[in-house]
Amino acid sequence: MLRWLIRRVIAAALVVFVVTSLVFVLTHVFTDPAAVSLPLEASEELREARREQLGLKRPLIEQYGEFAFGLVTGDLGESFWQQRPASEIVRERLPATLKLVGGSVVVTVILAVPLGMLAAWRERKFPDHAVLGFSMAFISAPPFWIGYLLIIVFAVQLDWVPTFGSRGWTSIILPSVAVGLASAGRLAQMIRRAIVEELRQPYAVTAQSRGFSRSYTITHHVFRNVASNFVTFTGWEMTRMFTGYTVVIEVVFSWPGVGLMAFNAIEQKDLILLQAGVVVLAGLVVFTNLAIDVLRRTIDPRVELR
Amino acid sequence: MSPPTGKTPAVNPPTVTDPAAPATHSGLDPGADSGEARTLADLRRHLLKSKAGMAGVAITGLFALTAIVGPWIPFIADPAQQSLPDRLKPPVGWGGTWAHPLGTDQLGRDLLARLIDGARISLLVGLAAVGLAALIGTLLGLVAGYFGGWADTVISSVADVQMAFPGVLAGLIFVLAFGPSVWIVIAVIAMSGWMVFTRVTRSLVFTLRTSLFVEASEMSGAGSPRIMRRHLLPNLVSSLITLIVLELAAAILSESAFSFLGFGVQPPQSSWGLMIEQGRDYITHAWWVVTFAGMAIAVAVLGVNLLSLWLQSFNDVAEREQIILDRPGM
Repeated sequence: MLRWLIRRVIAAALVVFVVTSLVFVLTHVFTDPAAVSLPLEASEELREARREQLGLKRPLIEQYGEFAFGLVTGDLGESFWQQRPASEIVRERLPATLKLVGGSVVVTVILAVPLGMLAAWRERKFPDHAVLGFSMAFISAPPFWIGYLLIIVFAVQLDWVPTFGSRGWTSIILPSVAVGLASAGRLAQMIRRAIVEELRQPYAVTAQSRGFSRSYTITHHVFRNVASNFVTFTGWEMTRMFTGYTVVIEVVFSWPGVGLMAFNAIEQKDLILLQAGVVVLAGLVVFTNLAIDVLRRTIDPRVELR
Repeated sequence: MSPPTGKTPAVNPPTVTDPAAPATHSGLDPGADSGEARTLADLRRHLLKSKAGMAGVAITGLFALTAIVGPWIPFIADPAQQSLPDRLKPPVGWGGTWAHPLGTDQLGRDLLARLIDGARISLLVGLAAVGLAALIGTLLGLVAGYFGGWADTVISSVADVQMAFPGVLAGLIFVLAFGPSVWIVIAVIAMSGWMVFTRVTRSLVFTLRTSLFVEASEMSGAGSPRIMRRHLLPNLVSSLITLIVLELAAAILSESAFSFLGFGVQPPQSSWGLMIEQGRDYITHAWWVVTFAGMAIAVAVLGVNLLSLWLQSFNDVAEREQIILDRPGM
């Protein structure tokens, strides 16, 4: 177990290394941070001065060394836009994003687990088709549109919760639901499929042929065996949230997280801050994947150690 | 009916999961002639029995038709015609007139006309992005699966890293570097989708390459490109089409998200995502702009998703039947 864990952590660290290197290549080889941060009509002297100031005149390998060393020590560079360390800004924004993803996971699981189990229990009957309809609808609707519909109905018409921003605990409800519905739609179908497939296993068939009802077989036998799959599926939805939904939903609800920060960084042409945001979100994805593996292994000892 | 899996082919790589699958192609090359006719007739029969499939074909067909003949539909206003006195007119039923059935936007442009106009760009961008991803991904998957060895190691690890590093995030850097444009969006969507095709193609080819018809072809001296083109690719077609339709739904959603953020389609052109971005400031008193634009995205994507759902179930059924039929002879 310990050796496996060490191997997994090393693999995750390797992915982080490759990913951050890719980000460096994207920002330093394909683009010119100095030119991007200045207005188009800026003179060549001004650009030269900015390049000098940012240390872009040095050999690329030296810049890369500094970038990598900065990452290890938690230094993500200095934001042009806010004139302060990017790591400081990210640290202020991170809690909001984590809160949003946490809330969304709660919504997702609360909706998806009962719906998925219901669909599997009544396979090919009306509830199964109804759950499929729910899933298809929410997988197909763009989450930012669901966000605006929720705002129109619950914040504008009914005035139950704040329209945007992070004010009071009620403000987290709408963004979490906007993210959670799409994830729940997918998760419910994955859970249904896992249970239906597990029900074909000899032990489940035997249990039912001995007279246990389908629902009893699901709750007392099948559920435990597919529980580790639930963890994986939920983890996948979390990585999806970190990389796509947070940016869009944080913009819709003016939610002060890393996603909104990345969006603003693009508007302000602040390459360093955007780079910091991308590195942190990619790091969260890698960490989530690692956490899934560890959790799976803890829940279900049969999971192979690879 | 097999459930939808969104963008997670890792759980449900269409038709790949069954280890018995290659057994169906016992000995003979099932490639071109013998299989085709049976499949098409089967396809129609299967479609007529599936309500979801019919709905998917109908919606996707309507979507494609609107995209193609959009500018020539009669009685529809010019989507670019601005009229400030008519700005933010409500739709029919909420105090509007038939001059603008779905109301007007903040510049007084006819909403229905703009929705019809937006269908084309959504479909074009989606098809271009998925086509690019499928081309690159399938090629790499063929190479990785057929040659194995270090080519497989390199391609598979790159795919793994890409899986952990979502292209959307890298896309944000591209947007900042090169400025927002449709081309960037196409490249970004293709970049975040190619590895799906690589993985499926690789695992299919992996099992196919040991089958008798490939070995026979190798022994008769056919070169690798010929084997890939003539013997492997025809066997991948149904899986690849299913995957392309599945990815198309995701690509249309991604395009709308990028355009909504202002990074995709740019103002003189219109796109559903961009319409939501332009209408968002008016949601408190003009709900229709955002509502109808989003509904267009949702319905189009739903149609494509239903089509993909049905294609997946069709492939599963066809394969299951084939396995059962082949077994006694083996």
